[in-house]
Amino acid sequence: MAAPLELSCWGGGWGLPSVHSESLVVMAYAKFSGAPLKVIVIDGTWRGSRGDVPILTTEDNIVSQPAKILNFLRKQKYNADYELSAKQGADTLAYIALLEEKLLPAVLHTFWVETDNYFTVTKPWFASRIPFPLSLILPGRMSKGALNRILLTRGQPPLYHLREVEAQIYKDAKECLNLLSNRLGTSQFFFGDTPSTLDAYVFGFLAPLYKVQFPKIQLQKHLKQLSNLCRFCDDILNSYFRLSLGDG
Amino acid sequence: MSLVAEAFVSQIAATEPWPENATLYQQLKGEQILLSDNAASLAVQAFLQMCNLPVKVVCRANAEYMSPSGKVPFIHVGNQVVSELGPIVQFVKAKGHSLSDGLDEVQKAEMKAYMELVNNMLLTAELYLQWCDEATVGEWEVKRKMKAIGWGKKTLDQVLEDVDQCCQALSQRLGTQPYFFNKQPTELDALVFGHLYTILTTQLTNDELSEKVKNYSNLLAFCRRIEQHYFEDRGKGRLS
Repeated sequence: MAAPLELSCWGGGWGLPSVHSESLVVMAYAKFSGAPLKVIVIDGTWRGSRGDVPILTTEDNIVSQPAKILNFLRKQKYNADYELSAKQGADTLAYIALLEEKLLPAVLHTFWVETDNYFTVTKPWFASRIPFPLSLILPGRMSKGALNRILLTRGQPPLYHLREVEAQIYKDAKECLNLLSNRLGTSQFFFGDTPSTLDAYVFGFLAPLYKVQFPKIQLQKHLKQLSNLCRFCDDILNSYFRLSLGDG
Repeated sequence: MSLVAEAFVSQIAATEPWPENATLYQQLKGEQILLSDNAASLAVQAFLQMCNLPVKVVCRANAEYMSPSGKVPFIHVGNQVVSELGPIVQFVKAKGHSLSDGLDEVQKAEMKAYMELVNNMLLTAELYLQWCDEATVGEWEVKRKMKAIGWGKKTLDQVLEDVDQCCQALSQRLGTQPYFFNKQPTELDALVFGHLYTILTTQLTNDELSEKVKNYSNLLAFCRRIEQHYFEDRGKGRLS
């Protein structure tokens, strides 16, 4: 493709090319499928809508949301799944649903809702990459958005209170991590020897949880006990992101 | 259910055998019952039938108010009340009945993943269509939930495409097998049946949803097989 593909996303830290799951999913997929992305890291001077990040821009298109971006890349012939069977393709969809329903709420909670984590790590990190005065408003909005997402999908009536939901979402997340670990076993990737869409999603959701240093780390502790998942993340970081590491 | 309550219920459940007067409560059929609630009730009924656990189905106008969690369907077994498929599967397991014990760890992971896919796509699509449908209830609540999971900006076409993708995945996973894990049905089969059967048989102002499902002949055969084997053959008569 002649026209450049530009991906605007949140930057990295703690050895990751991005600390933001959705950005990481797209970056990983691009590496796996060979899509030549120009990564533009968001800082205080970036002018776009931060709520929609990651955003893919080409000459004629602006695409947001990881699923849509990956679809777009596939249509441009950057397809990491061409070797998958129909059943493996179906499994991919199912496992992504599992990640979004069972793991994501706890990841969001760890980053955006857990008070110590949010105030000492997440908020300062994001605020420093957002221009004043938006830096005063946007992190709070993102935190509220995360809380809403958790409560509305997990806190069924009459449970609208966070306390009651917290225990359940962490229990679900730990079970989900165990399931992923069982499924991965000793394989290098989820479907054979080459990485595909599912690997991009798992990496995107797991890597920030694995690497970012938070004060409250119950989920991270659990993840670190699942050595094959940690090895999975480290392998991808070393093989695909080694040359472009560094703080965002 | 809170974690403590769950453990407590499991303990009590284990001690008593399945009673003859076990009852399942759902809302009244017809206009009152929501598409998604109907699917949930059917999934539980199918699951219990597959476990060979008899249950009497009772329709009540105020079923959700009778339920301790506010969710339907719920089952009344002995002096315990349990609502929703997940907790009911756990409850039944505590009594020594399970459809998925024979699966290995990888298969169990797959089963759970596909159940989430159904919840993610089919259930949400049902809610979305209820929202669009004129005789809808709880509109504001549904809209809020849609927005929270990023479906707020979805068009009907996109929702239908998601349903199609989900059906395609289910169809591919099922293949030519009678059930998702070959010869024996599991809670996944019950859940898929509950949703697909409901979609196929409920009259909505928009029938595009059922048309999507009808494209997949093995899914139609699957629904028919379960209806026949677990409902008609057991003398429960044809469903709705």
